[in-house]
Amino acid sequence: MDNILALKASGINKDFHDPVTFPVLKNISFEVKKGEFISIVGKSGCGKSTLLYILSTMDTDYQGELFINEKKATGLSLNELAAIRNASIGFVFQFHYLLPDFTCLKNVMIPALRLGKLSYKEVEDKAYEKLKMLGVEDQALKRADKLSGGQQQRIAIARALINDPAIIMGDEPTGNLDSKNSKIVFDMFQELAHNFGQTIITVTHDEDFAHKSDRIIEMSDGAIIKG
Amino acid sequence: MKISVNTEIALTYLSARKKQTIIAAMGVMFGISMFIFMQSLMKGTNDYFEKQSFNTTPHIRLYSENKVADNHIMVTFLKDPSYKLLTNPKQLIQTQGIINPYGVIHEIVKNPQVYAVTPQVTANVIYTSGSVQLTGNIAGVSIIEEDRMFDMQSNMLNGDFHDLDRVNNGILIGKGIADKLSLHTGDNITVTSGTGSPTIMKVIGIYATTVKQIDETKSYANIIQVQNLLGKDRSYVTDIKINLRDYNNAPQVAREIETLTGYKAEDWVQANEQLKAAFKIRAVILNSVIGVILLVAGFGIYNILNMTIYEKIKEIAILKAIGFSGRSVISIFLQQAVYIGLMGGFVGIVIGFSITYMVSRIYIGAGTLKYLPMSFYVPHYIEAVCFGVLTTLAAGYFPAKKASRVDPVKIIRG
Repeated sequence: MDNILALKASGINKDFHDPVTFPVLKNISFEVKKGEFISIVGKSGCGKSTLLYILSTMDTDYQGELFINEKKATGLSLNELAAIRNASIGFVFQFHYLLPDFTCLKNVMIPALRLGKLSYKEVEDKAYEKLKMLGVEDQALKRADKLSGGQQQRIAIARALINDPAIIMGDEPTGNLDSKNSKIVFDMFQELAHNFGQTIITVTHDEDFAHKSDRIIEMSDGAIIKG
Repeated sequence: MKISVNTEIALTYLSARKKQTIIAAMGVMFGISMFIFMQSLMKGTNDYFEKQSFNTTPHIRLYSENKVADNHIMVTFLKDPSYKLLTNPKQLIQTQGIINPYGVIHEIVKNPQVYAVTPQVTANVIYTSGSVQLTGNIAGVSIIEEDRMFDMQSNMLNGDFHDLDRVNNGILIGKGIADKLSLHTGDNITVTSGTGSPTIMKVIGIYATTVKQIDETKSYANIIQVQNLLGKDRSYVTDIKINLRDYNNAPQVAREIETLTGYKAEDWVQANEQLKAAFKIRAVILNSVIGVILLVAGFGIYNILNMTIYEKIKEIAILKAIGFSGRSVISIFLQQAVYIGLMGGFVGIVIGFSITYMVSRIYIGAGTLKYLPMSFYVPHYIEAVCFGVLTTLAAGYFPAKKASRVDPVKIIRG
């Protein structure tokens, strides 16, 4: 699509110090264009999840530079990073991680309420819209912990989408789902990337899932070996 | 009304764990209701004793103090301190009492703080009835003024104190005197002063204060009668009693009157130092008890919030992952603490008031004290809520701070 960079990593290094100092990421540099659907693959322990958490701005303990929407994210305060995550990054985890005390609808609404750009009513309408898109609008008023795993994951994706983030990151988003639900999630991601220009970066073990995406970044021993 | 998302999350967490919330709020409630109860009891008791002391002590007592002669007037006059005055080292008796007492009173009344002024003649006397003798003192007063200042009516056991103005040689005696000399209203009693001749007086009434020593020694008569008893003229006055509009100003007004008249003006604070000491001791005891209660309540809240944070650590991580700043997380948990504090506070106010009210209906019946003295003083209730909220804020701050430091990466990646 456009040539705007959604995300740029340059020279990212990270060491683990426990029990001995061990380089987990070695000089990682790559660029992601707006609207790209990227899968990061590699064996367990190759550092792909670690990289994803750095890209998501949650992990700030690294060397190198990270740009999100062409703005430098490295060196910002934790509160500024939280604001960036809130507005520009949607996150889907392997486990749904919904807030069990709230209804599904509230779970989806919370990031938008935090952002505070829309009125309560508008947020509610938008949340319904997202739930409908994922086919779980009939579960909206149930408590989050009363749903099946596949439904919960779809609620979690709706939550990641509510603020129309520029980048959606997934840490094995289909890792806990059966093939039917995996397909739904994949189609969803593809539609977001191709029709709505949202950038998708997922870490996955799922070969099928990876091969269907636009670009695969393969990692081994903390370095990018392909992509 | 638009409530912020932090508030909404805080309220949801509180209502999702009702039992724990209620227990934490109950801790605060006990703290606050005890605070109110204790403060009410303390203030009630203090007020009672203060009022009680004013039943017998005026705000300011002006009297002529016996002094050793000194040379300051002579030195001022001669402007030469080398002159020495040879004096008798014993104190001189100021037999004349206050000179020109009515002139002095006239001057005192000009002070806008002064509410009531009354002259008094006091004398040490011996009461005799049959063959039994009893030493004591008699106060010659204007009984109407005395009642206005000291509420004599509330101490009357029987008889009518107005008879002091109507009955020739009437005397109002304390219950202790009446018991010891087995006297009743209408009986006669012989009163002998140091300087005059014995006089037979008629008991017109009996009073009782809460102070046994006063009941056993003090009697009242018309001021003219006591002047007669002492063989003095109508201008003989030993004390001038002054009540003020606000007794808290007594020390300062006493100094003014002392400077104005040259006589010793003793304020009630000086006369009741042991009372003040008792107030202070009571305050220390009660405040430490309240402090402990609030501390325990605070630990309750601390504990419960801490547990919440352990339980919710994943959810805190998620909130941070979806863009809640550390500040928002602090706000979520601190708000929970404040709502617990407010809930406990308001219920505590109601319970505190109820306990205070119920205790104030407990019959005591000691002396003139019929019921436990409790005060219903609004600032206590405001203070209680402030203290409660402060305690909960302090107790909530540390768990909240801890929650804000949760590292989402560590928690989510496990």
